[in-house]
Amino acid sequence: MRLSFDDGTLLLEDAPDAVPYAEWDDRVDEYRAQAQHYRPIRKWATQSDGQVTLEESTATVDEIEDDARAYSDFYLTPSVAIEPREYQQDALSAWQDNGRQGSVILPTGSGKTFLAVQAIADAGVSTLVVVPTIDLMNQWHATLTNAFGDQLPDGVGVLGGGSHNIADITVTTYDSAYRYINEYGDQFGLLVVDEVHHLPAPTYQQIPEMTIAPYRLGLTATYERADGAHEELEDLLGTVVYREAVDELAGEYLSEYETIHLQVELTDEERTTYDEEYQIYRDYVDSHDFELWKENGYQEFLKRTSYDPQGRRALIAKQRAENIARTAEKKLDTLDNLLKRHYNDRTIIFTANNEFAYEISQEFVVPCITHQTETDERTEILERFRTGEYSMLATSQVLDEGIDVPSANVGIILSGSASKRQYAQRLGRILRPTDDRQPARLYEIIAEDTVETYVSEQRRQGVAANADS
Amino acid sequence: MLTANLARSRTHEDTITPLFIDASEQQYRETAEELIQIFEAHLGEPKGDLEDTIDQLTIADTDYKVVQGLAKLLKDECEFETVAPVEPHEIRQRLFEKANESYPIVRQPTLGEDTQKLEVYSSVADALGITLEECHQGMYADLEEHKRLVRFGHRVSDECQDAAESSTTTQLTGDSEESYAADTITPDWLLTRYNLALAQAVLYDATEMRVRVWDSFATVFSYVKLFGLMHRIYPIDSNGKRVRSTDAADGYEAILDGAASLFSKSRKYGIRMANFLPALPLCDRWEMEADILDDGGGSTTQTLSFALDDTDDLSSHYAAQSDFDSDVERTLAQKWDRANTDWELVREDDVLDLGAEVMLPDFAIEHPDGRRVIFEIVGFWTPEYLDEKLAKIREANRDNLIVAVSERLDCSSGDFDGIDDRVLWFKSGIHVYDIVELAEKYAVEALPAE
Repeated sequence: MRLSFDDGTLLLEDAPDAVPYAEWDDRVDEYRAQAQHYRPIRKWATQSDGQVTLEESTATVDEIEDDARAYSDFYLTPSVAIEPREYQQDALSAWQDNGRQGSVILPTGSGKTFLAVQAIADAGVSTLVVVPTIDLMNQWHATLTNAFGDQLPDGVGVLGGGSHNIADITVTTYDSAYRYINEYGDQFGLLVVDEVHHLPAPTYQQIPEMTIAPYRLGLTATYERADGAHEELEDLLGTVVYREAVDELAGEYLSEYETIHLQVELTDEERTTYDEEYQIYRDYVDSHDFELWKENGYQEFLKRTSYDPQGRRALIAKQRAENIARTAEKKLDTLDNLLKRHYNDRTIIFTANNEFAYEISQEFVVPCITHQTETDERTEILERFRTGEYSMLATSQVLDEGIDVPSANVGIILSGSASKRQYAQRLGRILRPTDDRQPARLYEIIAEDTVETYVSEQRRQGVAANADS
Repeated sequence: MLTANLARSRTHEDTITPLFIDASEQQYRETAEELIQIFEAHLGEPKGDLEDTIDQLTIADTDYKVVQGLAKLLKDECEFETVAPVEPHEIRQRLFEKANESYPIVRQPTLGEDTQKLEVYSSVADALGITLEECHQGMYADLEEHKRLVRFGHRVSDECQDAAESSTTTQLTGDSEESYAADTITPDWLLTRYNLALAQAVLYDATEMRVRVWDSFATVFSYVKLFGLMHRIYPIDSNGKRVRSTDAADGYEAILDGAASLFSKSRKYGIRMANFLPALPLCDRWEMEADILDDGGGSTTQTLSFALDDTDDLSSHYAAQSDFDSDVERTLAQKWDRANTDWELVREDDVLDLGAEVMLPDFAIEHPDGRRVIFEIVGFWTPEYLDEKLAKIREANRDNLIVAVSERLDCSSGDFDGIDDRVLWFKSGIHVYDIVELAEKYAVEALPAE
């Protein structure tokens, strides 16, 4: 019998009729199986010692020619010499005991990435890491580069976000993985899926189906899905092997910082345009009785913009007004003052859009990370920020806490995207005081008398409410 | 092709139909004209400026999907390039390194020793041997919106004339991005292409496609193969009913899907089917039905039916093989008449299904003593394609098959390594005696029909 990887499936040439997991493919007159069954099919074919169980057929396969496997073994030692915490060690052992298959449930912020690093070193095979977003892909790339970069001749590969480079350890997004898995499903022996509760979907579940990887690891904080679809994960990745409850870890990651709010005026020109545009939006909304404070009220407005030209104009007006508030000229003056005060600190400047991030980067000559930044350069900039080679950083992305983002002691929010409750708190998490006398600081610069004032108000309440709980 | 968010279709009960536009409608003709002018006017300019100008067209226009869709098809005909004297990444890195030793860099200096950004920029510019302006602009010249439009269709930006020579031949590639040299871009071209693209966009969610064709078999099946689709083939009569034998066939029905479709309905091959679709309008008579998986309505998925045929007035920008074939074939037939040989050249219309490969023999070559060989002229090919095809012929024990391959129609730049005696290479025309020689070698006694 000859096994080969064919467009995301396993082609089984000259297979006996008893071959498990396979279906007869009349298009090519051979047996074919889903790639995910590579491990049991191989096991079945190589059980030649007469130890046949009752339900298995006695038909033996004389010879097995395995052209399917295209991944390699290697030996890596993570260069992050952090001792794994006890629960991480337990999770890893549970996974090993389950034949290196299955999912681990850990709360957010408890070092899922770190666990994956241990698992990759343990499995010792080429690994594909699949994550939901480009942001997360970038973070994983940084972490994996940090852990294994020196030991991999080609570095950590990236598939997605404009990059297409496959290496022994490769990070990709769900979307790119779905698109390319039929080409690369034979090249990895370990499949790591982050936020694995997103996987049960007709499209995404083809990612595990189309790979031969005998080892599989799913990671998430929220395994159970309301629709019950998480049950499908057992077939795709294996059972849940470890679960850590939330409250056992809470409180470990809070850091102390103070928040300072600064308001700037719009210039006369900005004010005129802002008022005009905002009025167009307001008039339209008021004349149509949308209940905008409700979620479906806003949906209704958006729906209308797709067929009503005035509605479309109103939507554009709203976007323009918001943009003026976000990128108000005088915010740069205020930023100027803050940078003068904090040039000896480690400062991260947050903006809500790319253009403003680049404007600041050019104006103040600071390195800048947006979602357009290529993964390699992003990792390089963060690394230099970590080592102190760079002391300032502008970004339009929310950098999540973790091994990925080096800490800073000054954060400056130049404009915020709409009312995300944990927004400021997430930014605050990466702030650490440099010494005991001076607490870390988070500045928020907003435009006076605009919708931003309202959003910021909401955000502060969100943070306060969160701190109380 | 269109991105999924630019697709326009209507679902009625269990059928889905693209919202085709009427290419003769004045409003669309004007939009198309205006867009083409915008693209031409932006040759050499940054992509961001081009996009802003296009966005301006849609401020109070609910047809923005049409406008953006048309613009997307025009963008597919464009090339954007980073224009900078030094790698932007290098400029940035130097600037940040220099800046880090100079902070604070301020806009309004308060103290004598404060650095201003100009000093940083000019010192890096000097070190790199470029001007201050080049340094400032080059810093982020590789951002998508700063890339320059260097080619639009056949038109090339003045600064990039040098690179403009080559690539005049129409070549067919297996790439899913359509890199066929476009004709001159006109409103007609654009609107025609748009309707085809709307139909393609519906297919992104297709799980299975059934086509029926009554001519141009070679062209259709070479595109099936090119886009990596798998097939089951059935001979059909002129009404589309399946018939038992290929001898009674007027046409062929093919059910197209992909490797993993064997296990479950997969949308994975929808993009390939979308890529394949433009091959169908190359036929005079064709029909297509596809199953479209729709989960727009939340958790429940339903299968919609999507049908098209030759009355839908779609036209193709793909190259047809038939023009070439018929030319070569006609010449060969003429030569054969004049040649002095006992072997006879006869038309062969069967489609031979060899599993993963379809053979579309053009001729049979028969000797009065009963020996017979089947002869196919291969059109567009790549080395992998040819390799596989020959392997399949060997596996199928079809010893009496010979093929002629045009050296001109190699779709790849690579060389074909697999040497096979049954291949006759030719440049412009096929020589009768070369074929006769191969026929002598491979012909077998004709067996009674199976």
